[in-house]
Amino acid sequence: MELTKNITLGVYLPGKSFIHNLDPRTKIIAATIIIILLLLSRSYAAFAVSALFIGSLMVLSGIPTGYALRGLKPMLPVLVIMWIFQLFLFKEPGATIYFHWWIFEATEAGLHMGNLIILRVLFLFTVTTFLTLTTSVVSLTDGLESLLKPLRMIGLPSQELVMTLVIALRFVLILAEELEKIIKAQMARGVAFDRGNFIQKTRKIFPVFLPLFIGAFKRAEELIVAMDARSYTGGRGRTKMKTLHMGRVDLTAAAGMTAYSGLLIYIIIFTKPMI
Amino acid sequence: MSIEVINLSHSYKAGTPFEKQVLFDINLSIGEGEFVGIIGPTMSGKTTLAQHFNALYIPRRGKVLIDGLDTRDKQADLVTIRHRVGYVFQNPDYQLFAPTVGEDIAFGPLNQKLSRQEAERRVHEAMAQVGLDYKTLYNRDIFALSGGQKRRAAIAGVLTCRPKVLVLDDITAGLDPRGREEILAVIRDLHHHQNITTIFISNSMDEIATMADRIIVMDRGRIIMDGLTRQVFARFKELQAIGLELPEVTVLVNKLRSAGFNLPAEVLDVREALSLITAALKEMEANR
Repeated sequence: MELTKNITLGVYLPGKSFIHNLDPRTKIIAATIIIILLLLSRSYAAFAVSALFIGSLMVLSGIPTGYALRGLKPMLPVLVIMWIFQLFLFKEPGATIYFHWWIFEATEAGLHMGNLIILRVLFLFTVTTFLTLTTSVVSLTDGLESLLKPLRMIGLPSQELVMTLVIALRFVLILAEELEKIIKAQMARGVAFDRGNFIQKTRKIFPVFLPLFIGAFKRAEELIVAMDARSYTGGRGRTKMKTLHMGRVDLTAAAGMTAYSGLLIYIIIFTKPMI
Repeated sequence: MSIEVINLSHSYKAGTPFEKQVLFDINLSIGEGEFVGIIGPTMSGKTTLAQHFNALYIPRRGKVLIDGLDTRDKQADLVTIRHRVGYVFQNPDYQLFAPTVGEDIAFGPLNQKLSRQEAERRVHEAMAQVGLDYKTLYNRDIFALSGGQKRRAAIAGVLTCRPKVLVLDDITAGLDPRGREEILAVIRDLHHHQNITTIFISNSMDEIATMADRIIVMDRGRIIMDGLTRQVFARFKELQAIGLELPEVTVLVNKLRSAGFNLPAEVLDVREALSLITAALKEMEANR
């Protein structure tokens, strides 16, 4: 019984690769560009190019691909359900009908729509996971803060926002650990979480949520006390122990990103979309 | 009920870059009615090993037999195994999840599909066994309990499943001396009167010395000693080497020994120490 094994979002895997050594700002900007391009992509060719690009980044980072994709495993049932919904419910006049039963129709348009949505979710998840796998929480915070600093001028509390985001990211793992403990406690008194089919397993999950939420609130309260005890007062007047520096590696990364973005924009404009 | 562990190894996060082996080739067998203490420094694998006893962990390498039943067997009735081998967790906050005391203690039997009436009967009995007042505490909010009461409620919740084996994972941590004594008395009582096989995990040598008949010492995922309590404590140098502290009374007696008193090495009980020291003093007086 180990739940945390399948959680990769928010986990940092230390390393010394080219990707690990990049300035966090470079990585955050690059990830944002990739995500925007992915949201604009509507053709299989565009996704193929992105897959190739992200794949080679992963090889470069030395992170085992199997581990990076492991976090997708618990999401699979949801993805399959989403795909089925799109297949049967997305309709377009004049589209080829593959299959017809009662009010349900599986059309070619639905198939492509389903594929498109699944591809997007997969890619978005992989890109964000990849970012946190190669960037420690501290540098992620520093990078985001530095990037959002200009927004302070229009009154956006950037440091506080980043702090919230980082805490949320940390809580993914903490909550998973908590969940594991509660499930174990219930298993020890006879709930068979590890037996039964998908629906039976899902139903057993509900009584777990109440203690999980109570636990989460307790944790949050403890965190507040801990932050207060160390005189946390928000971003104003806070100084940094480490300052960020862009270097030659970041220039190389920028060149790589430009080539990828150019190619992808070309594909997005000139190839026929799947839907 | 007997527990047999054969060539068991276990790794956390197996198959990920964070993989860490925490149990190395464990072999042991615990017979019916025994009172076994498991002791070792933190991170020595005590809890991981113990959670194999009630099939919370299913072995990947090696096997665990509960009354001859292999927990890896796909047909094995794990729910029954978990009812037979009751597990009291290290931290009662992880174990108590229902809103009120009564509901939490009744969780096991109701899950066993027993009638409401039978469940209530068992709750009543279990609360009496651990010394919780049924009338005042039954409807009490779990979070309004004191540390000691939470431990008792956690034990009661396991007792309602009528276990044959009781695994107690460091259940006195964070309790004051009186609360500790009271909980330990409950455990002794259960063992003596109901012949429940008891596996008592602890960091405290003081506690284990007075409770267990047999002690298993773990260090970094391996069993390094397994024997009768006195035999294990006689090897106190090795115990101290892995960072375990001897019971205070044993330390005192050892100091007196090196100062020339005629005392045995492995004294574990305060009363025993008292009579031995008085005897030694009288002897010295007579010799003078």
